[in-house]
Amino acid sequence: MRFAYYPGCSLEASGREYDMSTRAVFEALGVELEEIDDWNCCGATAAYSISDTLAVALPARNLALAEEKGLDVLAPCSECYHRMRKAEYAVRNKPGMKERLEKAFEGTGLKFTGRITTRHPLDVIVNDVGIDAVKARITKDLNGLKVAPYYGCVIAKPPEVVGFESVENPTSMDVLIEAAGARALPMSGFKTRCCGGPVLITREELALGLTSGILKEAMEEGADCIVTPCPLCGVMLDAKQKAAGVEAEIPVLYFTQLLGLAMGIKPKRLGLDKNFVPTDRVLEVVSG
Amino acid sequence: MLPDVIRLKECDPSFVREVMEAGGQGVSACFACGTCVAGCPTVEAMDHPPRRLMRMINLGMREEVLASDTVWLCASCNTCNTRCPRGVEIPNVMAAVKSIAIREGVQPDERVAPVFYQEMVDSMVRYGRLFEPRMMLMVSLRSGQGVEGLMKNAPLGLELFKKGKLPLRPHRIKGTKQLKTILENIRTMEGGK
Ligand code: SF4
Ligand code: SF4
Repeated sequence: MRFAYYPGCSLEASGREYDMSTRAVFEALGVELEEIDDWNCCGATAAYSISDTLAVALPARNLALAEEKGLDVLAPCSECYHRMRKAEYAVRNKPGMKERLEKAFEGTGLKFTGRITTRHPLDVIVNDVGIDAVKARITKDLNGLKVAPYYGCVIAKPPEVVGFESVENPTSMDVLIEAAGARALPMSGFKTRCCGGPVLITREELALGLTSGILKEAMEEGADCIVTPCPLCGVMLDAKQKAAGVEAEIPVLYFTQLLGLAMGIKPKRLGLDKNFVPTDRVLEVVSG
Repeated sequence: MLPDVIRLKECDPSFVREVMEAGGQGVSACFACGTCVAGCPTVEAMDHPPRRLMRMINLGMREEVLASDTVWLCASCNTCNTRCPRGVEIPNVMAAVKSIAIREGVQPDERVAPVFYQEMVDSMVRYGRLFEPRMMLMVSLRSGQGVEGLMKNAPLGLELFKKGKLPLRPHRIKGTKQLKTILENIRTMEGGK
């Protein structure tokens, strides 16, 4: 198995430990990642606020580069994943978009026909690698560590665009948490509720209120840590914990960090020193 | 603000088409059920809830819609469109309105978000990737937030820096020329609409 790897801007900055742990886990699972050479930003929430064609063309440049190699794209950031899938969807289904993209690409030599697609690491690990193969690699017992799975908004929405997960009650991370010997908490009603990240710059109080709701639910359910597949959620839940008015600190990990630990990968390689809230509590359970 | 009386004579019946052509597919199918409002995480901060905004677009209340805060406070969470029984792509409708407002230089009450989006796209095309330090500086300068805005975001920047997560120099990709060509092609295409 081999993918064209698309880290995206967040994984080069605030989500560096997500990048490190994704590479380490995929290597251990025997899945090859070839980083897309010279990739560009996916456009995030900004490009479609400027032009709907630009919002397709930016991700499509990366898709075109991957298509040249004949590889599907692997995108860990859920926003990048969502934008790439949205661009593919538009090219395949929106009247006139294919032609508009061709016009946008004029003079660049780029071409995207829609032969390849974008996958999320959760989808690939659960559905392609398979839970049995994952279980076979687990070497450390997570000793019933209580983990709150927080998925964020766009990994499963809208289903016609992304669609490897249940919209209201996604379970792929739950399954991996359990496979790793930890306990997945229900996070009732909060699994996919917005973390507030996209409005942090414009309405800080509103954003932090949303963040605090998720943190409080995790704590009330007795979580030892939270795991997420989204770097923006990661920043909000981890770096903004104090600002969100939550007293006791709770570690926030990328799901690949937790999985990597269970697979016996060294904490340093998983970037566990890069999370904001110290992750010692999790490490103690694992080594103890 | 919503006027006490909606004067259809002052409305622009072609506006709904304009929004749909800018990417807001399906807005004309809205039957005002309000499902979108029920799950919206930022509705409390919006001047018009999503359902009302969809109505206003359909009625052609161009000026009021373009001046509204609502579109700038949409978190693009995709909850509303996932649940909408009429298949209205609400976040796309919000984005289409934003793009029209930016293109026409409308100055909504919400000052930060429009500048933020423009600076993000500037960074995406200039370097090929986001370069947050410059983005935040430009947003503070251009939105009238000034030093206060910079100070507000400084603590997070410092935390990121301490963790080795804040690149101080932009990474410029080799394909920036391609990106400029793409942007120019799109401007030509959309200018001719
Ligand atoms: S959920 Fe859909 S149909 Fe109902 S009010 Fe909102 S946009 Fe209109
Ligand atoms: S996408 Fe925007 S309008 Fe829709 S529910 Fe989310 S924040 Fe509200």
